[in-house]
Amino acid sequence: MDTRFSAYDNKPWLAAYGSSISQTLPPARHPNLGHLVHSACQRFAEQTAFTCVVPNGMNGSLSYRQLADASDAFAAYLRIDCKLEAGDRVAVQLPNGLAYPVVAFGVFKAGCVLVNTNPLYTASEMLHQFNDSGAKVLVIVDMFADKLAAVVPQSKITHVVLAAVSEMFPALPNLIVRGVQKVWSKVLPPIPALAVPVLRLSAALAAGTASAKATPGVVQTYWRGVAASDVAALQYTGGTTGVSKAAMLTHANFLANIEQVLAMGRSHMGSNECVLTALPLYHIFAFVANLLCFVEIGARNILVPSPRPVQNLQRAIENYPITWITGVNTLFNGLMNEEWFTAFPPKHLKAAIAGGTALHSAVAARWQSITGTRVAEGFGLTECSPVVTFNPLSGVAKPDSIGIPVPGTGVRLVQDDGQPAAVGEPGELIVQGPQTMAGYWNRADETAIVQKDGWLYTGDVAVMDAQGYFRIVDRKKDLVLVSGFNVYPNEVEDALAKMGAILEAAVVGIPDPRSGEGVRAYVVKNPDFEGELTAAAVIAHCKSLLTDYKIPKSVVFRAELPKTPVGKILRKDLKAEVKTEFAAR
Amino acid sequence: MLTPLETTLLGIMMMVIMLGMGASLTFRDFLIAFKKPRGVLVGLLCQFGIMPFLGYLLAVVLGLPPALAVGLILMGCMPGGTTSNIFTYFSKGVLALSIMMTSVSTLCAVVFVPALIAFYSKLAGVTGEFAIPAANVAQVLVVLLVPTVIGMVLRKANPNVGATVELIGSMLGIFVILFLIVSWVPRNYQLLLSTPWYVFFAAIGLGLFGMLLGYFLSRAVRQDLNRSRTISLETGIQNGPLAVLIVTLTFTGEMQQQVLLVPVLYSLFIVLSSSAVTVWYRSMATREALARDAAKVATA
Repeated sequence: MDTRFSAYDNKPWLAAYGSSISQTLPPARHPNLGHLVHSACQRFAEQTAFTCVVPNGMNGSLSYRQLADASDAFAAYLRIDCKLEAGDRVAVQLPNGLAYPVVAFGVFKAGCVLVNTNPLYTASEMLHQFNDSGAKVLVIVDMFADKLAAVVPQSKITHVVLAAVSEMFPALPNLIVRGVQKVWSKVLPPIPALAVPVLRLSAALAAGTASAKATPGVVQTYWRGVAASDVAALQYTGGTTGVSKAAMLTHANFLANIEQVLAMGRSHMGSNECVLTALPLYHIFAFVANLLCFVEIGARNILVPSPRPVQNLQRAIENYPITWITGVNTLFNGLMNEEWFTAFPPKHLKAAIAGGTALHSAVAARWQSITGTRVAEGFGLTECSPVVTFNPLSGVAKPDSIGIPVPGTGVRLVQDDGQPAAVGEPGELIVQGPQTMAGYWNRADETAIVQKDGWLYTGDVAVMDAQGYFRIVDRKKDLVLVSGFNVYPNEVEDALAKMGAILEAAVVGIPDPRSGEGVRAYVVKNPDFEGELTAAAVIAHCKSLLTDYKIPKSVVFRAELPKTPVGKILRKDLKAEVKTEFAAR
Repeated sequence: MLTPLETTLLGIMMMVIMLGMGASLTFRDFLIAFKKPRGVLVGLLCQFGIMPFLGYLLAVVLGLPPALAVGLILMGCMPGGTTSNIFTYFSKGVLALSIMMTSVSTLCAVVFVPALIAFYSKLAGVTGEFAIPAANVAQVLVVLLVPTVIGMVLRKANPNVGATVELIGSMLGIFVILFLIVSWVPRNYQLLLSTPWYVFFAAIGLGLFGMLLGYFLSRAVRQDLNRSRTISLETGIQNGPLAVLIVTLTFTGEMQQQVLLVPVLYSLFIVLSSSAVTVWYRSMATREALARDAAKVATA
């Protein structure tokens, strides 16, 4: 053991586990995800697994038994009708709905590899992802079928399956939802003619069921052969460098992370949980936290296809006994701006889980006072499947902290020279644990940059306090170096957020002939603020809170800021703009 | 005039419309509305203050003969139409408020409408054979409360059935108007051709001026933009089919024909004018909803 790191390797956070969290990670309960799904469907057969709710309250549900049958049928369709082999990639491009779990679990049961894809991707983004992963089958929501013509002929895709938002709804609600989509919102484009077969999901399931009839029990033979070390999903991540690359997440990675999340939450989980899934399942956070973890404990998932505007969540929250909500800062914030939510917050709620991006302390405090429950913030990244740290639900939760490492996880903070950061001092957060990825798909060079000596380098700078609680300072790559001083954009953004006239802000570095780099603030004016907002006023505000070198040299006003689908502000897009702007000078 | 079969059909369709209105309601909606009762109170003021007066004013200023005047005043005194809910839905307004205003005004109508009709008819000098008996109106309104309550129970029991009934009810509101176009207009095209411009002006103006006044009154009492738009639509859109039903149950023959003219014209044109207004409101609401999503929690 490297004794220099003993401040971290002694795991000071174990004391905060208390009696409710296991000190060591229990061994995985399942050999692979196919078994996890199979076992959950057997144990909870008669319970409702998923309910999809559209904004007017219309809904459809799947029991665990129906989930078992449908995902078996889809697995058979993939292996028999599409002639896929174990390890072949299946791209899934669906919003939250009943089709998603059927297809994703079908992929695992077939022993194939899931490639989660954002339904809002453009044709060129789709093409990159499908060709990079080598996907052979694509399951896509019919609302975006018009993109197929530009994508499929240039890819290795041999079969396309179309699914509807109201897939598997009862007949009449299905008819009405589709009628509204077609006639009123006009979001159902015609299906282009393609050289490869295009099937509706219902037809694919029927084909799979028919094909599997010849050999009863054939689906079990697909997943029984899958090793824990096999890749389960290629999860694409933009990273900060632009080109999107896939983290290879194995069955063992997911199974470990499920156990780790459940270890942190189990003390608050019973046998009848109901989780609100407003975040997209194609994103690693909801994929593991909502889909995998809550299926493992037999909970009911309430799927909302589109959480924007946030009013779309009203019927889902009113009509079902929600006990857990996962979300990001913007979602919690949006809910608390709705009258129906604040007047009747969900009364069965046990806790809310926040991730994806920093949770503002003002939002957390207001959530606690409105709902009477805690928002526990965690930290994760795609490369760690994703959860690394989490705030314990019992005992001490520290505001602005990402909590303590989950069981079985080693965390260190290192400086640029490889030396440990002293307790309370910032350093890059590095992770060792069963949830860290097998590497980037087909990118050994990129893998070598982030995985060194058995540790995964997250690129996030954090500090740890004496109790072992971590706090994220910033992304390492986003640091602005002003005359040799490190400026953390988060710190400047927090200062800007305290100005009532500012709705949100992002901070990046710009070249500066004298100081090397200078701070630039991109600012969105608060629509509730009446009057003019000037750069001078913004700078004056910063002067009251920050040291000289941290104060923005330039302030740019914007109508909105570039964001990821889960609402993270994309500093890299702003940096790219700065680069073009200064290259032109 | 309408045949007895058509009158019966109209009655049945009204029942389904009210069933749909009930299905759009939850107990919670009532509680939220009464936590901030101002919206509903403003709505009632628009519904039973502005609209009947507007009907009366137009009748007097345009010098309408008694048969048309009573039709216009009746139209002005009606509670909110259930089609306002579907227009509010499509304009992304405050659906709960619209539903609440429609329901509360329909409940209050049992008392207000007979009284207002009597008051304004007298004021306009409409008497004798053209006067609408208050008891008739009250009776119709009470009967319609039954399907409303059944609708509420359905909604609670099964959201899928509730949402379907709600949608069918709202659609039927528009269908009734189409039904009138198909059954009434062809038989009366000559009447329409000989109808002077100011009758059209009265029938169309009642809705449009109502929306305008409703909007400015709500803004004046500090309702936000979205609530003001909702109240505006709710004020302008009256329950046309109900007025037609009351007329057919009260008058017969040639008299029915004359009194029906304004309610029918109103019903035909309100679909067009509120569709146009809805498209405009919707684009405004979309912009605001996105901004509100992103608005931050106020820091102390």
